[in-house]
Amino acid sequence: MVIDWLPSVLIVVLLALGVIGALRRVSLWRAGQPEKVNLIAGLLAMPGRYLKDLHHVVERDKYMSRTHVATGGGFVLSMVLVLVVHVFDVNEQIVAWALLGALLIMLTGAFFVFKRRLNPPARLSKGPWMRLPKTLMIYALTFIVLTLPAAGILPEGAGGVVLTAVLSVGVVIGLGELLFGMGWGGPMKHAFAGALHLAFHRRPERFGGGRSTGLKPVNLEGDVLGVAKPSDFKWNQLLGFDACVQCGKCQAMCPAFAAGQPLNPKKLIQDMVVGLAGGTDANYAGSPYPGKEVGNAKGGPDEIITAGLVSQETLWSCTTCRACVEECPMMIEHVDAIVDMRRFLTMEKGETPNKGSEVLENIIATDNPNGYAPSSRTNWAADQNLAVMKEKQEADVLFWVSDGAFDMRSQRILRAFVKLMKHANVDVAILGDEERDSGDVARRLGDDATFQSLAKRNLATLGQYKFKKIVTTDPHAYHCLRNEYGDFDTDGALAGVEVLHHTTFLNQLVQSGALKLDAFKGGKVTYHDPCYLGRYNGEYEAPRELLRSLGIEVAEMERSGFRSRCCGGGGGAPITDIPGERRIADMRMEDASETGAELVAVGCQQCTAMLEGVVEPRPEVKDISEILVDQLVEEVH
Amino acid sequence: MSQFDVLFQPLNINKLTIRNRIVSTAHAEVYATDGGMTTDRYVKYYEEKAKGGCGLCICGGSSVVSIDSPQSWWSSVNLSTDRIIPHFQNLADAVHKHGGKIMIQISHMGRRSRWDGENWPNLMSPSGIREPVHRATCKTIEVEEIWRVIGDFVQAARRAKEGGLDGVELSAVHQHMIDQFWSPRVNKRTDEWGGTFEGRMKFGLEVAKAVREEVGPDFVVGMRITGDEFHPDGLNHDDMKQIAKYYDETGLIDYFGVVGSGCDTHNTLANVIPNMSYPPEPFLHLAAGIKEVVSVPVIHAQNIKDPNQAKRIVEAGYVDFVGMTRAHIADPHLIAKIKNDQVDQIRQCVGANYCIDRQYQGLDVLCIQNAATSREYMGLPHIIEKTEGPIRSVVVVGGGPGGMEAARVAAERGHKVTLLERNEELGGQITIAAKAPQRDQIAGITRWLVMELDRLGVEVRTGVTADAQMIRDLKPDVCVMATGGRPYMDQNPAWGAEEGLVVSSWDILNGKVEPGKNVLIYDTICEFSGLSAADYLSSKGSLVEIVTDDIKPGVGIGGTTFPTYYRSLYEKEVVMTSDFLLEKVYREGDNLVAVLENEYTGQHEERVVDQVVIENGIRPNEELYYELKEESRNKGQLDVEAMFDIKPQPILSESGDGMILWRLGDCVSQRNTHAAMYDALRLCKDL
Ligand SMILES: Cc1cc2nc3c(=O)[nH]c(=O)nc-3n(C[C@H](O)[C@H](O)[C@H](O)COP(=O)(O)O)c2cc1C
Ligand code: SF4
Ligand code: SF4
Ligand code: SF4
Repeated sequence: MVIDWLPSVLIVVLLALGVIGALRRVSLWRAGQPEKVNLIAGLLAMPGRYLKDLHHVVERDKYMSRTHVATGGGFVLSMVLVLVVHVFDVNEQIVAWALLGALLIMLTGAFFVFKRRLNPPARLSKGPWMRLPKTLMIYALTFIVLTLPAAGILPEGAGGVVLTAVLSVGVVIGLGELLFGMGWGGPMKHAFAGALHLAFHRRPERFGGGRSTGLKPVNLEGDVLGVAKPSDFKWNQLLGFDACVQCGKCQAMCPAFAAGQPLNPKKLIQDMVVGLAGGTDANYAGSPYPGKEVGNAKGGPDEIITAGLVSQETLWSCTTCRACVEECPMMIEHVDAIVDMRRFLTMEKGETPNKGSEVLENIIATDNPNGYAPSSRTNWAADQNLAVMKEKQEADVLFWVSDGAFDMRSQRILRAFVKLMKHANVDVAILGDEERDSGDVARRLGDDATFQSLAKRNLATLGQYKFKKIVTTDPHAYHCLRNEYGDFDTDGALAGVEVLHHTTFLNQLVQSGALKLDAFKGGKVTYHDPCYLGRYNGEYEAPRELLRSLGIEVAEMERSGFRSRCCGGGGGAPITDIPGERRIADMRMEDASETGAELVAVGCQQCTAMLEGVVEPRPEVKDISEILVDQLVEEVH
Repeated sequence: MSQFDVLFQPLNINKLTIRNRIVSTAHAEVYATDGGMTTDRYVKYYEEKAKGGCGLCICGGSSVVSIDSPQSWWSSVNLSTDRIIPHFQNLADAVHKHGGKIMIQISHMGRRSRWDGENWPNLMSPSGIREPVHRATCKTIEVEEIWRVIGDFVQAARRAKEGGLDGVELSAVHQHMIDQFWSPRVNKRTDEWGGTFEGRMKFGLEVAKAVREEVGPDFVVGMRITGDEFHPDGLNHDDMKQIAKYYDETGLIDYFGVVGSGCDTHNTLANVIPNMSYPPEPFLHLAAGIKEVVSVPVIHAQNIKDPNQAKRIVEAGYVDFVGMTRAHIADPHLIAKIKNDQVDQIRQCVGANYCIDRQYQGLDVLCIQNAATSREYMGLPHIIEKTEGPIRSVVVVGGGPGGMEAARVAAERGHKVTLLERNEELGGQITIAAKAPQRDQIAGITRWLVMELDRLGVEVRTGVTADAQMIRDLKPDVCVMATGGRPYMDQNPAWGAEEGLVVSSWDILNGKVEPGKNVLIYDTICEFSGLSAADYLSSKGSLVEIVTDDIKPGVGIGGTTFPTYYRSLYEKEVVMTSDFLLEKVYREGDNLVAVLENEYTGQHEERVVDQVVIENGIRPNEELYYELKEESRNKGQLDVEAMFDIKPQPILSESGDGMILWRLGDCVSQRNTHAAMYDALRLCKDL
């Protein structure tokens, strides 16, 4: 009877439709800009990346990682066996039993997904995502029943036409979601795009525990600087957007979102998906950008993003803290995307908001964001007796002072660090007036041209001198020097040079006994991980070890380590100053106050400034070098 | 990102980089003991300024180069012997360690000194003309002596350099030998050392040449000069511009310090260290005028107290360096506080001139409001550390300067402090003193304390008259009694205080009593209070006669402050009468008759007035103390030995129940603001 064949035919048809959809999806990604990836190697590496790297992130939520393994694993296995059993008609009972097993695993997984969805956390999107566990269960149940005869549990043809008809509906619903939906933009798209994203990720260094946080340079000779339209993204960035599962983990970590600024990284990625496929955000069923309604955004691959899809304010709200990236199970790169779009606004349109353009002009004219006379860069050190490279030519350590040199509060950090180095008899020199802004702010504000020019000039200066290490108290400069200057270091100015944050360096000095410290006597201390030290550079331990060596038991904040909440000072956010309902720094100070700490230890002048800007009463804020200097055992001469 | 950045722009003097634009200019410290050596106290005093961030300290005001310029009167630094060199090394190290620079002012004071002690020298001056301020007679210096003194300058400069100091400042100001030669008022010579402009310049020039020859091109040699002597027969501003230009063109001088006014009369001397009656930076224009004609940096000090003021002056380019000398005496951490964004925590100099008025009496320089200054060596701290011992409950009774300082220090130590004050307002007698004309700035002392108490979270209860039960209920571990005193008007019952015939100077200044038309002030104390009452009354239109049994009204006021009172009092035709006792006062119709008796002849005089004001000091408010004394753990007693040694009171480390009771300030006996605050600091710093 025809009807007996129906399920098999449907399977084939839906599979075919799915493949057509997938090819169409691929063509959407291909509208993006070329980017070289090793396709074969990527594909071969993909399963490993899925099992290790992706699961490493998903593991943070044990419940979800187990249900996903069951559902996803069960599905992949069952789908292969469905083809074997129901399309190629292989009549081995053992295969049918295996299929039943796979389907049961999947059913169990889908059931737990269903349970979670009964009362979903706010970060999760609703809409089709609410349907997914049900359709997954329908798929599993349908094929369990369909497979019972093959397994010899039911006689062939049991149930008759009615059952076959019902099962056919089940096949359509189940495979419609799983195969058709995968290709044509349903929730299951994530599996297909996600898998390929793992294979063709733009930052393969991230896999296997690596870290890749430096922004990619703009080709200043290119037609458009930065990203104006979705098709200006690299093809694999577009692919990455499509991998989003709308889990909202990024949203839950985003400080700008929490502060009520008009940014939600999940929505942003979804808007990118709208942009790459064309259409509107009417079907988006997650949290909006705070203060903005959903449904008004529309775009297409070749339409200017900021002309209707995403507002400029959204892009300028980001502090580039990377909390979203760190949290994303699909390894999507929000910060790259945001900065790419800022680059267009700044370099092509000159539309950096608020103090942004003034700051950029200052940087261009004076090599520092506040427009101080370059010749006053070393004023702070007039009484420090610091060697200057120009005269000394060679030193073990080059102390990269950074623009804290111009700021009185930051100078206290600098002086404390110098005092510590002197005590440890470090052979150190500074660049003095030859140092320039690292370019951090310019780059995060999208002005890659200025960044590149600063980087090249700094590298040219550095190249003239001999030193083994660069140490800086500024995590932003640290990040630039360590992770971003390499792209321009054609003459090897930094070849073989170790770039260190001062906490790392001080920790070495303390652990080796070169610095002797008394025990700390004050009250409770908590530690704030600066984004550019922690998430950008993976240094969570040295500052903590330093504090421990003073006998301090750090009262950790709930959001600490890789989950630290930004102070609000990164990415030029204080400059573009997009209003929200709260200030990020206030929220961070609340985090700190909740620990009962009297002192917040930090390792960044910018964090210090942001946190000290919070109105009192609040815990005191000190850079770790300031805390250490107070505990120095002064030699009596 | 600070509004004060301009102050923190380093600037070179010769090759010496000064880290900021703020200087502590030369002042006679009166700390160089052991025959003019810079010993421990001296070194620690300057180290504290360097630690506090001062860019350049010019130490040793009026340090002598020759043994016939006596140093012992003012314990100034003695550069006439090589013995000084190792002392300088300690001093230089202490300042350099903190990134500061240090130079010394060197001088031969000529006639501006005293001959009646030490080596009993004949003082010398270009033309042997007597100096009135020091009542100093002198001989006319002979040419051989001139060359010897030049040689002494050279040796002194060498010693400074060998001692590791960063430079020397030649004093050609305040009427020392060099400017005695400059000024036609004092130099009447007709030989090559006088007469013409070049002749008058010659001595200073030979000194500069010889010193430069000795120290080489890179060692800083500066010169401090006046911008105008303010004497019709002296050097005016144009003369000084000419002189400055003349010396500048020699290329021998690396900077000029400029001071407004001459200094050889009581009246001009008061200008030199302007007290609180002067406006801010009264003589800046003179320094700016000199800056116009010279090519090297110019330093100016005179009533620059506030960082904003300093910033404005440097920003406008009037001068290159701002001297904040008394500002540093009052708060050596001034610059650190600017840097730490704690400008409102700066203890600002109020221009009380306690420091300089002590110096003129040959007493060690102390700040009226900061008892830690120059006592760093004894262990008195400027920055008070939190205690590591028990946190105590401290009750301070009385919100005058002593009580407030006690409360501040105890709170800085981390204790729980309650301050009770009877009046609605804190400040005690300072508040009264500030009511007089030209004296309002004295209230800066207590204004700062009020702000600090607020910052430190002291519980201040004003309008509360404390009684014994109230204090018992507060259960203090330590009770500091600082209840002050009250006017002592009943010493002689015949004055009629009981009958209400006389009023106190407090009531006058407080405005409690309307000024009379015709007022007699009887002042046995001869300090600020009497003259302030006279100034106040006369400014309200009263006809005032101030009578004292002492040598002269105001005789107890120092040399830089009585002149500003006199200027005001003479102008308002206040009559000042000395040597008369007030025998009695009686009423006659609407008038009062004051009967005066001459101290020396017994002769009587009568004054018919409508108001008699008595300034006879105060009696302590000690009733509450005596009420609590017996029940206190220490019976109210202090271990004076520990206190004088700046050691903790032993009772603090003994265990026991009940409160420790300390009494300080005028509720013990009448002394002064500094005394009360010193006791408060030395007692409470170890709480
Ligand atoms: C206690 C004291 C002693 C001083 N002695 C000298 C001195 O010996 N030589 C001198 O040139 N100036 C002397 N001065 C004047 C100061 O250098 C300075 O010009 C004056 O105090 C005004 O500046 P100020 O308002 O910043 O305090 C003295 C000042 C003080 C307060
Ligand atoms: S980088 Fe930080 S601020 Fe920006 S979107 Fe991500 S979480 Fe939000
Ligand atoms: S971007 Fe990543 S973290 Fe954010 S919702 Fe999508 S998958 Fe989740
Ligand atoms: S005594 Fe007075 S004038 Fe002198 S420094 Fe102290 S406050 Fe200023």
